[in-house]
Amino acid sequence: MSIVAKVIAQSDMSDRFLSSAELTQLQDFFNKGGVRISAAQKLAANEQKIVDQGSKQFWSQCSNTPSNSGDSQKTALCQRDQGWYIRLVSYCVLAGNSKPLEDIGLDGMRDMYTSLQVPLANLKLAMRCLKSVAMGLLTSEEAALAGPYFDQLIRAF
Amino acid sequence: MQDTITSLINPADEKGQYLEGNRLDQLKKYFQTGNLRVNAANKIGSSAASIISQTVEKSLLYGDITLPGGNMYPTRRYAACLRDLTYFLRYATYAMLAADTSILDERVLNGLNDTYSSLGVPIEPIIQALQAMKEVVTQRVGTEAGQEMDVYLDHIINGLK
Repeated sequence: MSIVAKVIAQSDMSDRFLSSAELTQLQDFFNKGGVRISAAQKLAANEQKIVDQGSKQFWSQCSNTPSNSGDSQKTALCQRDQGWYIRLVSYCVLAGNSKPLEDIGLDGMRDMYTSLQVPLANLKLAMRCLKSVAMGLLTSEEAALAGPYFDQLIRAF
Repeated sequence: MQDTITSLINPADEKGQYLEGNRLDQLKKYFQTGNLRVNAANKIGSSAASIISQTVEKSLLYGDITLPGGNMYPTRRYAACLRDLTYFLRYATYAMLAADTSILDERVLNGLNDTYSSLGVPIEPIIQALQAMKEVVTQRVGTEAGQEMDVYLDHIINGLK
């Protein structure tokens, strides 16, 4: 769900047209449309780089972790998931809403990683490292849009 | 409901892809029309009652439908007609903001024909009123936004036919 769908659903619930606060919210969202697009494009173009550099940072702080166990299959799987989270953050930036991250990547996430025996605390650190690399590649305006979704991701772990 | 953003993201996610190429271009276009949509929604929302009055005046008020034996007589039925026209205007405005017709299908058109036929409400005058609403809305919001609203009011008209 996007911010547009969200305010419409909100208005519909109370049988009214959009309030002026909601209209202002949408205006702010659309006014940053160009920045949203460029932020999403940069995340897409740099996914591999963010994952590679993020992993290095992560392993330097936490060497005893499945992705650094020497099992290349595990490493690939962990890094694939990290890439997915970057993609979900890019969706959120475009949607102006954290629902894509929540619905696709957070609902059930703890159960999944617990069952896979990947320590959540390690993942939290890994996500922090992804954020720090990603923030360095974005302009301050782009980072201001993407940062909160990375933060939500980190908090979720 | 779907909106144009979600309807672009969902199929990309199904394939594990970022929004790129054609999909991203579509989203860019939508973002570029954002202010037009918000301004139109603002104008329509703040003058909905007067849009409806003018719509009725243009289409139904002077016809037999408001006389005894007509479907907008007595006042209770007149008010019900105003209420329904206001629903149409509100949902068309939502759909215009979202640039997506799914909310009309889900919340307005689903079962509407059956409801109207079971209540004995004739469809033709509603369509006349919706045609008039298109003109009134365009007068209020200008040609460009008016064309955008036409898409969604026409979607209701076609759904009623």
